[in-house]
Amino acid sequence: MNQTFKIILVKVGFGCVLLALWQAVASARFMPAHLFPGPGDVLKSLMDIARDGTLWTSIRLSMGRMLVGYSISLLGGVAVGVLAARSWLFKETVGSLIMALQSIPSICWLPFALIWIGIDQRAVLAVVILGALFSIAIATESAIRNIPPIYQKVGRVLGARGFVFSRDILFFAALPELIGGLKIGWTFAWRSLMAAELLRADQMGVARIIETGRSYNEIAMMMAGMIVILAVGLTVDLVVFGTLERRIRRRWGLEK
Amino acid sequence: MSIQFQNVSKAFVQNGQGAARIIQALNPLSMEIRDGEFFSIIGPSGCGKSTLLNLLAGLETSDSGNVTVDNVPVEGPSPNRAVVFQEAGLMPWMTVSRNVEYGLKLQGLSRDERVHRAEKYLKMVHLSKYANAMPHQLSGGMKQRVSIARALALEPKVLLMDEPFSALDAQTRDVLHDEVQRIWQETNTTIVFVTHNIREAVYLSDRVMIMTAPPGSIKRIVPVPFAHPRAKSSSDLSYFTAQLHNQIKEEVDKVAARELDADWKQDAEGLAVAAEGTDYASGI
Ligand SMILES: Nc1ncnc2c1ncn2[C@@H]1O[C@H](COP(=O)(O)OP(=O)(O)OP(=O)(O)O)[C@@H](O)[C@H]1O
Ligand SMILES: [Mg+2]
Repeated sequence: MNQTFKIILVKVGFGCVLLALWQAVASARFMPAHLFPGPGDVLKSLMDIARDGTLWTSIRLSMGRMLVGYSISLLGGVAVGVLAARSWLFKETVGSLIMALQSIPSICWLPFALIWIGIDQRAVLAVVILGALFSIAIATESAIRNIPPIYQKVGRVLGARGFVFSRDILFFAALPELIGGLKIGWTFAWRSLMAAELLRADQMGVARIIETGRSYNEIAMMMAGMIVILAVGLTVDLVVFGTLERRIRRRWGLEK
Repeated sequence: MSIQFQNVSKAFVQNGQGAARIIQALNPLSMEIRDGEFFSIIGPSGCGKSTLLNLLAGLETSDSGNVTVDNVPVEGPSPNRAVVFQEAGLMPWMTVSRNVEYGLKLQGLSRDERVHRAEKYLKMVHLSKYANAMPHQLSGGMKQRVSIARALALEPKVLLMDEPFSALDAQTRDVLHDEVQRIWQETNTTIVFVTHNIREAVYLSDRVMIMTAPPGSIKRIVPVPFAHPRAKSSSDLSYFTAQLHNQIKEEVDKVAARELDADWKQDAEGLAVAAEGTDYASGI
């Protein structure tokens, strides 16, 4: 049997077992049905929010925030990372500061953002940006540092210097490792956004599905919200970043 | 393009554990490489051959003296001085042809000219068929040939080669020797060639420079008194190679002796400590 096929079969099988277990626990009635609904109820709730449009609006709004926030993190993070890799002074000062700031979960900046920026979209956006920026900067710096020195020498003797060298050689030589860092940055941004949405009652978004469910005491809807968060996160991870990573690795000859 | 080294020296600062050490890579040395010459440099490991080549390439700057090419001081890399390193160093995200074209693009050649030149030099190293392949699809020897084509495409006045064949198998190396020699004769390029392989140096060069054990300086510069093209199997060549071999062996032995000496001193210190530890025993 084909190896990939075997892996898919095992994963699907494991998913079925999980569903069955969930159903079994729900049917055993350790808790009243409305406090611990089974997969059927959650699916029904999911279909309800899909039908009334809540689901699509939420995804659209959340993804919009992600795209704007992540793009800013990407530009800023890569720029900071390149600077840190090229100047030791920058690395020892700003670089160290970023290392330190990275240990603060970005959601902790929300209260500050609310006061400094105001109670609108932009506070949430700030949290998303801070969630990804530092990790992208750190990943960029490390990816550039790990570039084999031969590219540096070859680039210089062929006549590449300054910005042209960074654009034509550093960037591409760093790309296979960089893409992994960008993926982690996306995951951090996504988590930060979910946390921020959970705390901001005035805006719709994927995480609000959970809060809405809680306010109606509808656990099935809360679980549906969790599933949406998981599904969106996983899709971007596998489809967008997974494909990108595979393409790059194949072109670079790092895998067949 | 005649190349001149005038009292050129170079030291490196090495930051190990603890204090930084200063390593004298090259003692002040002077020499001249003639226009169109095939000039080889051999010597024990660490004697500064790569340093010398990098100074000429403009990848390093000298501490004293100056390096000039046709009386113009070397200040940084230039497409007039192309370099082939031990690693091919092809850029894996570009096709073979794009790799060869890249340096030309930086020089502002038009797309047509670039493609045309890449074709010409890939043909010279017998890789026309692979122009659109990705580097990872080539063997080690083929990659090194692309890197030679990439250097030649710049149509440099001087070609610098730092152990270009040392990572290759004997058969591939033989083929490349003949290709490099043919290209040298066709293009009139001055070639500076660093190698550990004395036979290779004798087979290819007009003159061979032997360097001393580190810190590197010139031990001798030996002309190879045979006309090109040479037969690899010739007994004259073998005899000449054997003679050079002895001279280099002296230097290599010096390096080995020094290293052995260092080990020996360490061992001796170790013994002294051990002896102190067992002092009480000798008292009985
Ligand atoms: N960038 C550098 N930083 C510190 N030390 C260096 C650097 N480059 C060379 N050296 C030192 O300078 C000395 C000469 O090095 P070099 O690479 O020129 O030797 P080599 O003759 O090319 O040796 P090999 O035959 O092993 O290639 C060595 O002791 C080496 O450790
Ligand atoms: Mg060397």
